[in-house]
Amino acid sequence: MSGRDDRRANDPMDLEALPGQARRVPDDDEEPEGSEARQGGPSADPKGRGKDDSEKLDQYLLRRYHLHGDRKAREQLITMYLPLVRSLARRYASRGEHFDDLVQVGAIGLIKAIDRFDLNRGVELTTYATPNIVGEIKRYFRDKGWSVRVPRGLQELNIRLNKVIDELVPKLQRSPTINELAEAANATPEEVLEALETSQAYNSVSLQASPNGESGEEDAGLIDYLGGEEEAYDTMEDRTTLAPGFAKLDKRERYILHLRFFEGLTQSQIAERVGISQMHVSRLIRRSLEKLREEIGDLDNPLPPRSSDDAR
Amino acid sequence: MAERISLEVPATLSALSTVRMVLGGLGARLDFSLEDLDDLFLATDGLLQAALEAEELDALRVRAVVDGGSLRVSAGAFRSERLRDQVALTPGDCIDLCTLLRRLVDDVVVEQEQDGSFSVVIVKNSSEPAA
Repeated sequence: MSGRDDRRANDPMDLEALPGQARRVPDDDEEPEGSEARQGGPSADPKGRGKDDSEKLDQYLLRRYHLHGDRKAREQLITMYLPLVRSLARRYASRGEHFDDLVQVGAIGLIKAIDRFDLNRGVELTTYATPNIVGEIKRYFRDKGWSVRVPRGLQELNIRLNKVIDELVPKLQRSPTINELAEAANATPEEVLEALETSQAYNSVSLQASPNGESGEEDAGLIDYLGGEEEAYDTMEDRTTLAPGFAKLDKRERYILHLRFFEGLTQSQIAERVGISQMHVSRLIRRSLEKLREEIGDLDNPLPPRSSDDAR
Repeated sequence: MAERISLEVPATLSALSTVRMVLGGLGARLDFSLEDLDDLFLATDGLLQAALEAEELDALRVRAVVDGGSLRVSAGAFRSERLRDQVALTPGDCIDLCTLLRRLVDDVVVEQEQDGSFSVVIVKNSSEPAA
C-alpha cells in the first residue's frame, strides 16, 4: 500500500480504504433482505436489540452490502461493532502501545471481516470478526517486535483448563487446587502453572476460546462485552464509584472490584453472582487493577520516581 | 521444619513472572486453591510494581518461607518512604496498595532491616483446604 493508502487503511471511518473482496451470488430462494429484519431496519438502536434482532440486523446489513453494494450498510456495521473492537483492544492496552492506535488497528480487522464475510457460512459476524480483529492487533504487535506467541501446547492446555475449572468449581463447591487441575487436565502441576502464567501474561488464548473451552460459535465471554448492563451494577455505593481512577472503569468492572475488595466476596462467589466463569472474574479483576494503576499512576506523576527524601 | 527459598531477580516488570512461577510452585505444594494463588499473585504483583515505580532498584529480593499451611513472602530491599506509606496507610475508599494487600492476603508487615532498608512481608494461608 502507498503511504496514503496506509493512512486511509488506518482510519476506521474511511469506508473506501479497504474495498469489499468477497462477493457471492445469492441462492434463488434467498431474499436479499428478510422482511422482519427490514421492519427493524438499519436505523434500529443496536443497544436496544435482543440477540435475535441483532443477528437479523447484522444479516440484513451484510446482505445490503454484499449483494447490493450498499456502503452505508457497511458503515453502520462498522459503527455497531466498534465497541467490540475497543473491548478487544483494551486487552492489549497495557503492553506499551496507545489504546487509540490499537482500536484503529483492530478496526482494520473489523473492516476486513465485514468485507470478507461469507453469507453462506451461517456464522454470526461477531464469531467471524473477533479472530480477525485480534489477529490484526497481534500482527501489529508482531510487526512492532512485540511477540505474543504462545506455544500451541500451552494454548491448548489453557483452553482445557478453562473448561476443567468451570467443571470443578460447582463439583467441589470451592476453587480447585493446582494438583486437582493437573489431574483433571491430564497435565503436571508445573504445566498447569505455566499455562496459567501464560494466560496471565497475554490473555490472548482466552480471547479466541470460549469460556467453555470450545471453539464453537457461542462465545459468552465476548458476547458479554456486547450484552446489556446488569441493574446490579448500579447498586454499588457512590464512594466506590467516585474513588480515584474508578471513572476509567466500566460499570461491570467497578461492580466486580466493589464485590471483591469492599464486599469481600471470593472470585467464585462473584462469578456466580455476575454469571461468568471464575477465570473470567480473575482476568477482569487483574485488568481493572491495571487500569486503576495506570490512572492513579497518572495522578501521581507529579512525584518523581525517586526523590532525595525517598532515598534515605 | 520451615522451608526457605530465596530469589533475586532483576528489578523489571518481566521478572515478576519468575516470582509468580516460584510462588505458584510453593502454593501448589501447600494445596492452595486457584483463588488463593491468584490473590497471592495479585498482592505480590501489586507490591512489586509499586516498589518499581517508587524507587530505582538494582534487583528485587524475594524470600519465601513455607511453614505449615501458610506461605510467608518477604520482598525487599526497599528504601522508599513513599512505598512504606503506601503499604502502611489505613485502608480507605479506594483500591490503593494498602487496601489491595489487606484484602488479598492474611497479614502484611513492614520489617526494618539492619542496613536501613525495609522489607514488606505478606502472609497467605490456605483458605479452603482440599478435602
